[in-house]
Amino acid sequence: MAGGTTLRESIKEMKRLKNEPLLLVAIVLIILLVGYFTIWPVIKVISVPQASDYAQLFAKRRWISALKNSLFMTVVSTLSCTAIAFLFAYVVSRLNVPCKGLFRFVALLPIVSPPFIVALSYILLFGIQGIITKGLLGLHVDIYGKFGLWIVQTVTFFPYAYSVILGVIQKISPNLEYAAYNMGATRWQVFRDVFWPLCRPGVAGGALIAAVNVLCDFGNPMMIGGDLALLPTEAYMQISGWYDMNTAAVLASALLVPALAIFVINRFWVGKRSYVTITGKEISLTPLKPPAWVKWGLFSLTMLVSLFVLLVYGSLALGAFTKAWGYDWSLTLNNMRYVLNKGGQIWNSIRFGLLASLGASLLAMVLAYIVQKKQVGVNRLLDFLAILPGAIPGIFLGIGFVMAFNEPPMELTGTAAIMVLALLFWNIPTCYSACTAGLQQIGASVEDAALNLGASSFVSFRDVILPLLKGPFMSGFVLSFLRSVTCLSVVIFLYAPNTIVGTISIMGLVETGQWGSAAAFTVTLISIAFTVLKVSQVVLRRQGIRLEL
Amino acid sequence: MENFIEFRNVTKRFDDFVALDNVSLSIPRGSFVTLLGPSGCGKTTLLRQLAGFAEPEEGDILIEGRRMNGLPPYKRNTPLVFQEYALFPHMTVYENISYGLKLQKAPKEEMDRRVAEMLEMFNLTGLEKRFPKQLSGGQQQRVAFARALIMGQKILLLDEPLSNLDAKLRVEVRTELRQLQQRLQITAIYVTHDQDEALSMSDIIAVMRKGRIEQLGTPWDIYFRPVSRFVADFVGTVNFLPCVVEKKEGKSLTVRYHQQTLTFDTEVDLRPGEPCTVVVRPECMTVRPEHAGEGQLVGEIQNYSFLGRYIRYWIRCNDQTLIVDDSNPGLTGAISGRVRLSLDLPKLHVLKDVGNAPD
Repeated sequence: MAGGTTLRESIKEMKRLKNEPLLLVAIVLIILLVGYFTIWPVIKVISVPQASDYAQLFAKRRWISALKNSLFMTVVSTLSCTAIAFLFAYVVSRLNVPCKGLFRFVALLPIVSPPFIVALSYILLFGIQGIITKGLLGLHVDIYGKFGLWIVQTVTFFPYAYSVILGVIQKISPNLEYAAYNMGATRWQVFRDVFWPLCRPGVAGGALIAAVNVLCDFGNPMMIGGDLALLPTEAYMQISGWYDMNTAAVLASALLVPALAIFVINRFWVGKRSYVTITGKEISLTPLKPPAWVKWGLFSLTMLVSLFVLLVYGSLALGAFTKAWGYDWSLTLNNMRYVLNKGGQIWNSIRFGLLASLGASLLAMVLAYIVQKKQVGVNRLLDFLAILPGAIPGIFLGIGFVMAFNEPPMELTGTAAIMVLALLFWNIPTCYSACTAGLQQIGASVEDAALNLGASSFVSFRDVILPLLKGPFMSGFVLSFLRSVTCLSVVIFLYAPNTIVGTISIMGLVETGQWGSAAAFTVTLISIAFTVLKVSQVVLRRQGIRLEL
Repeated sequence: MENFIEFRNVTKRFDDFVALDNVSLSIPRGSFVTLLGPSGCGKTTLLRQLAGFAEPEEGDILIEGRRMNGLPPYKRNTPLVFQEYALFPHMTVYENISYGLKLQKAPKEEMDRRVAEMLEMFNLTGLEKRFPKQLSGGQQQRVAFARALIMGQKILLLDEPLSNLDAKLRVEVRTELRQLQQRLQITAIYVTHDQDEALSMSDIIAVMRKGRIEQLGTPWDIYFRPVSRFVADFVGTVNFLPCVVEKKEGKSLTVRYHQQTLTFDTEVDLRPGEPCTVVVRPECMTVRPEHAGEGQLVGEIQNYSFLGRYIRYWIRCNDQTLIVDDSNPGLTGAISGRVRLSLDLPKLHVLKDVGNAPD
């Protein structure tokens, strides 16, 4: 285990590595790789601007408002995300209501979609040419700005909080609630005094996950933010509009600070406050039933949100097959033909996604194994390196790669390699946490048992650890692939004409108002993502492996 | 008997915590040795040093005179049965049991034959295609034994292998395990915190405390001749009578306990006037109603608990409460009121108080 060791003990452990050259080489390689591809870009971004550049941040009114707006949007969107996430998690895990499958589906959809698709659909629904605003109500409203962004971010990011909160709620034993009920508490008191306090760490954790996603969100503000100045979009404008690397770096650094803060709070504060212990026991007890009016009230709310999400995706599908959104509602395949013509970009998305997730999951698996099962004296450093990319906003990592790898020895600008590498290291935390969870499930002595029976370290890894990690490995791989295919922020600075991926095309189409083609492109990407997800679920289930997302 | 396994002055520290403090232990071939002690006493650490999962900072570990230090676990041939069995969840019963042979690249026919032997021996025939999670706790445990024994090593390490079984099965397996060890003439090292397991199976028990071996001896020694209050208290239930030595003539010792003198034989070196503690097991006293006469001590019953095969009494005697077991309960219920206690003098044991303070 990492932690709890003194320096002396660490040094002793490091000395022992002399006897395991393979392990030593692996560790040195990992530190060099992760250091070069995540720490070095971060250092580059922070160190290139001068002090005077940083001073600009607090002098120029546009930057001050970008900072304020970013924080403001983070707070409001996080609040609404968390509320909806809690509602969904509670309804799905604690209430006996119909349509739970639908709710689960709705809470999964945004995770496997490109981050900006909600914005795109929102425009299709309520924009100037919107089917509801213009088509049904005949209104002419301006939806660009804070309010629209708030709605869009809420729908986009509540699923992230939902999965965290659900995980915690499912582990709270209904027995605790029965115990309080038994001692004379009313159902409301049970909720207030027992259930809610037990949920709190999960809710806090979910809120922080949502917060960091909202803060670093680039796609939605790009499409629906309008004039609203936000740190990620402003940083992008500096580069795409003015080729001003220094200012972009300053803005990205300003984004890094709160992102790191949220990350640290989540990891070291919320993580320690979890009361829920993992016993591995399935909880089969029926939970305490709330009064009927509460139950159906919550159900209706959940249904309302779900219908809205479905509307969002429905309009997207419709948009993909509509001739000219807002003017000519007749159906057509033209948009799809357009996508077919751009097949190379879709292929880029898939190709880069596969390579990056393969690399990320392999590297992360070795990392997780060493951190969890070996005492090498640098366990904490390795753990830190593995989770660090999760704290870096995508936009920051993108700028970092541009700045770090446009000069010898690594001149990668414009290559496919830079796209793959950026996505690879951006995905390491995803795969790492999947593998870590998997490894923690493997009893401490299972590997010892193999050694005891005569298997060397390598053989026991091959015979015992690898087969048992198949599930977590595949979960990490599939999730990384979905993230890579739908990623915009990391790659927006890195592409060249021949390495354009789907998401970048979509952004371009939205910017020029080609809604139909944008929708068709998006539908194609989501279909690919869902197909990959479903196929791998089916294939893996046949081998008895459950895919955890 | 020659020494099969030897620990020589083994010391192991975890940071500032001394897990093993200069432990020396010799284990004769074919014996069943139990490391007994509370959690954190170092018993599992000692076992893991032998299996090679940890290395001692100081001292040597020898098997058949060969120094094991620095040898990785997979070269030691020290099969271990783990507390939670550590069966490979992704392998069938057959694959689990044959894994060690597979690593040695044994031919298929030999593997089949030896696995069949093991399945037969452990009553697992027919289950070879099952996965561990499809087995009961007892079956899983037998697979763990089969996996450890299939290589035919003459040594077997056991780390609390019975602690996950239910109480009744535990007692059954105890006997089977001891018979198996004797039949196969295996040298077994058994780690447990359960005194019943230790007493019922072992040739030798090493009672451990704070990284040291507090007492090494046969189950009889450990139970009736504990060297310290700790051992006496940890193994079984015990009464401590604070006494003062009256006289010591040869082996014969006379001590005063309140108004009563007690005379019995002991090897312990004591001088007249020296304070000491007499150790009495609950079953080494007989309780009778006061009017029945007989018995050195007088007391009053405070409480009792009927356990079927015996009644346990808590009896106020002088200024302490003594625990006394009546192993032949009457049909009509427990005794009450004032009673007389007679002590089985040959079974009394004495501890020096000097340097052996109660804790």
